Amino acid sequence: MSTHLLINPSHRSIDKALVMRIDALLDGMDKGEVHRYLSETVYLERQRFHRSPDQVSEQERSDIEGLARSLVSGVDAMRDAAARLVKSYSQEVHNRFSERTYGAALKVAPAALKRLLGPAEAGVWSWKHFDAGDKILVQGPLAHLRALASTHTLVFAPTHLSNLDSPLVGYALHQAGLPPCSYGAGLNLFANPVMGFVMSRLGAYTVDRRKRHRLYKDVLKAYSVELIGRGAHSLFYPGGTRSRFGTIESSVKRGLLGTAIAAWQEGLVAERESSEVLVVPVTLSCSLVLEAETLIEDALADEGKSRYIINDDEFSEASTVLKFAKKLSHLDASVVVRFGNPMDVVGNPVDEAGHSLNVDGSTFDRAAYVTDGAGRVMTDVQRDRVYTNHLADAICRAYQRDQVVLPTHLAAFAGWHCLGEKFPTLDRYHRSLLSPFEQWVDRGRLVAVIEELMVQLDRKANEGSIQLLLPEGPGRAELVLSSAVATFGRFHSRAGLAFEDWRVLVDPKLALYYGNRLAGAGLKVGESS
Amino acid sequence: MNIGIIGNGAWGGALATLVSKAGHQPRIGYREGGSGGFPGTPNFAMLSRESDLILVAVPSTSVAEVIEAAQPGAGSMVVLASRGLNPRTGGWLSDLILERTPCRRVGALTGPALASEVVRGRPTALVVASSFDEVCVAAQTALHSEHCRIYSSHDLHGVELAGAMVKILAVALGVVKGIDYGAGAMGVVVTRGIAEASRLGAALGAHSETFSGLAGVGDLVSAATSGDHPSFSAGLSLARGGAVASRTIEQIRAVLALAEVHSIALPLTEAILAIATGEASPTLAFDELMRRSARSE
Repeated sequence: MSTHLLINPSHRSIDKALVMRIDALLDGMDKGEVHRYLSETVYLERQRFHRSPDQVSEQERSDIEGLARSLVSGVDAMRDAAARLVKSYSQEVHNRFSERTYGAALKVAPAALKRLLGPAEAGVWSWKHFDAGDKILVQGPLAHLRALASTHTLVFAPTHLSNLDSPLVGYALHQAGLPPCSYGAGLNLFANPVMGFVMSRLGAYTVDRRKRHRLYKDVLKAYSVELIGRGAHSLFYPGGTRSRFGTIESSVKRGLLGTAIAAWQEGLVAERESSEVLVVPVTLSCSLVLEAETLIEDALADEGKSRYIINDDEFSEASTVLKFAKKLSHLDASVVVRFGNPMDVVGNPVDEAGHSLNVDGSTFDRAAYVTDGAGRVMTDVQRDRVYTNHLADAICRAYQRDQVVLPTHLAAFAGWHCLGEKFPTLDRYHRSLLSPFEQWVDRGRLVAVIEELMVQLDRKANEGSIQLLLPEGPGRAELVLSSAVATFGRFHSRAGLAFEDWRVLVDPKLALYYGNRLAGAGLKVGESS
Repeated sequence: MNIGIIGNGAWGGALATLVSKAGHQPRIGYREGGSGGFPGTPNFAMLSRESDLILVAVPSTSVAEVIEAAQPGAGSMVVLASRGLNPRTGGWLSDLILERTPCRRVGALTGPALASEVVRGRPTALVVASSFDEVCVAAQTALHSEHCRIYSSHDLHGVELAGAMVKILAVALGVVKGIDYGAGAMGVVVTRGIAEASRLGAALGAHSETFSGLAGVGDLVSAATSGDHPSFSAGLSLARGGAVASRTIEQIRAVLALAEVHSIALPLTEAILAIATGEASPTLAFDELMRRSARSE
């Protein structure tokens, strides 16, 4: 049996491994650095306790106060207290992962997802006429990935739009015949009982974003290295959080992504048989996004800049999620999950067997990135950070190439542009605040802009620099607009676009949000000719 | 440490001298003309495989070709000692390596060292820039000695841009010297030229201090005062009715194209292009610059 399918390390072995990893990290610091590192933990945690006293357990208080006392008792006491805290964190993070999650995901998740997303005879999550296969397209080099999944540890790196992304990717993995993977899910995501149920059975482990100190982040990274090193396929959202403006990620965070190269190197040092780690960018393209209204409002509002964790969005209401899924059930091809070509941990493409590829198609030994002339693995954290930057850049390029343009994206982009033509002196923020009487554009002009953009998109699609899923045939621009208007009318409290006689009503915020999907595509109105 | 130097011109020979003075035995990769008294080979691929560090010292127009031939691998470290941008695309020379080979550990080397002075043992300094600390350390190990100090930087693109801009600004200084506009005008070209380079660099994510360091001001002062800097000499010739090489014009156009993408005004660089292409006489071009409206520095 492949070592990649059932990874269910015991709590104890994970606890021990994480304590050892953090211990090794502290070994690299002098006494003063250890003191600063742990003092930061105490300071930020006490602040959190003060802000939200109701959400703190006695165990948490006790661990932090124990750590605080150790700060005046010498380095050994500090490290002992840190080890106790790491063990607590390990159990908290790993809690949802063990028996009930990762191992069981193979058996439980497909059925749960089928009930949530697929046709069923009865039950609260089922609707007639709903077939997830019609609504959710899964694309990409699936046979290649299936073959690699049995010999390599895969790290999936999806774009991030919605809290529904994790079950969506879980469903896509299942549809593609790929094994489930472990991933970190914020505590707040478990607030929705329906999604909490599904996520905890998809290999989700717990991430408490309220803990912002380095020690906790290092524990998460150590946990990720440990899981990947043990052969568990993993999933990170390199963008970190949901895209507030609806844009596709053009830069990504390096923290968790860097654990791929760390785990790979550890495998090389240990000469593990299945040490090879590959990264798979995954691009999610959705006609509608559940939380679009909240996200764009939040992004535009000044006070929104400081809100990192949104607990009161559409996702937190189970009934809203169900309503959203039900609305989607009436749309064709409303969601596309596109798996990209796999790459090595430095961002190079790989062949069928997982060997790194040069531009001329020849293969090369990627171990040379981290070994000396004698083949010894040389540890260099700074070097690995730069390699991870290269990986991040390659992932972002793949996102642009693999994004699938849907009618709502194109029509919204055109609608936002036409509003800009009407109000050329307004910047983005003020355009988003137009009064209801100003929120319209000429339908003929809108169709003409869509037509012009489609010429550019066709050219890019032929070059392979973007993917399209747009209506075909005569009058395509009008078809795109009609399709987008029909889709927008289905869920949001305000329609993104709506027909009214000779004009089209455009909600500026939603047009900005959905149109931003094309913000990095290099489209320019007035340049097609 | 095995150090390969691709290029047997004056700059390649100067780097070989510095490597020798730092206590290493360099090997020269050459196409023709021999290896100037150092061990050498015409086989760039072999040189690349057998070197811990490769220094590329060929004109910017030849970098693509030698990289294609050398094929540095995943384990290679390559430092470009060629100044300028990719003349074909206007992109970074370092991108030629990143896009065409598996090599990721790249760097750039530039500064006020002049080949003729290096071989005579005059003291000087250079800056090596790379995102990788280990590339900087390797270059310092290979070149640092009592004759040449090697400073390091993480601002790879800043150093690459500074190298490209100094070549252009040195032409301007040569022109000013040639038309005898005096030391004051030379000072203006140095400071306003560096200001242009900094503005463009900032738009490209480079650090402004890079342009006030060895790669910018240091290199430009050396070009203006040495008398035998190739770009400075080209400017002198231009002022006296001569022509500049087409690759110099390509470099100026590449920089201006980059500036246009980022909406950065480079009036001095535009004036040099006008002079180099014969669209304006040196005096007319500089007089036009002087007629620009007053502004804050």
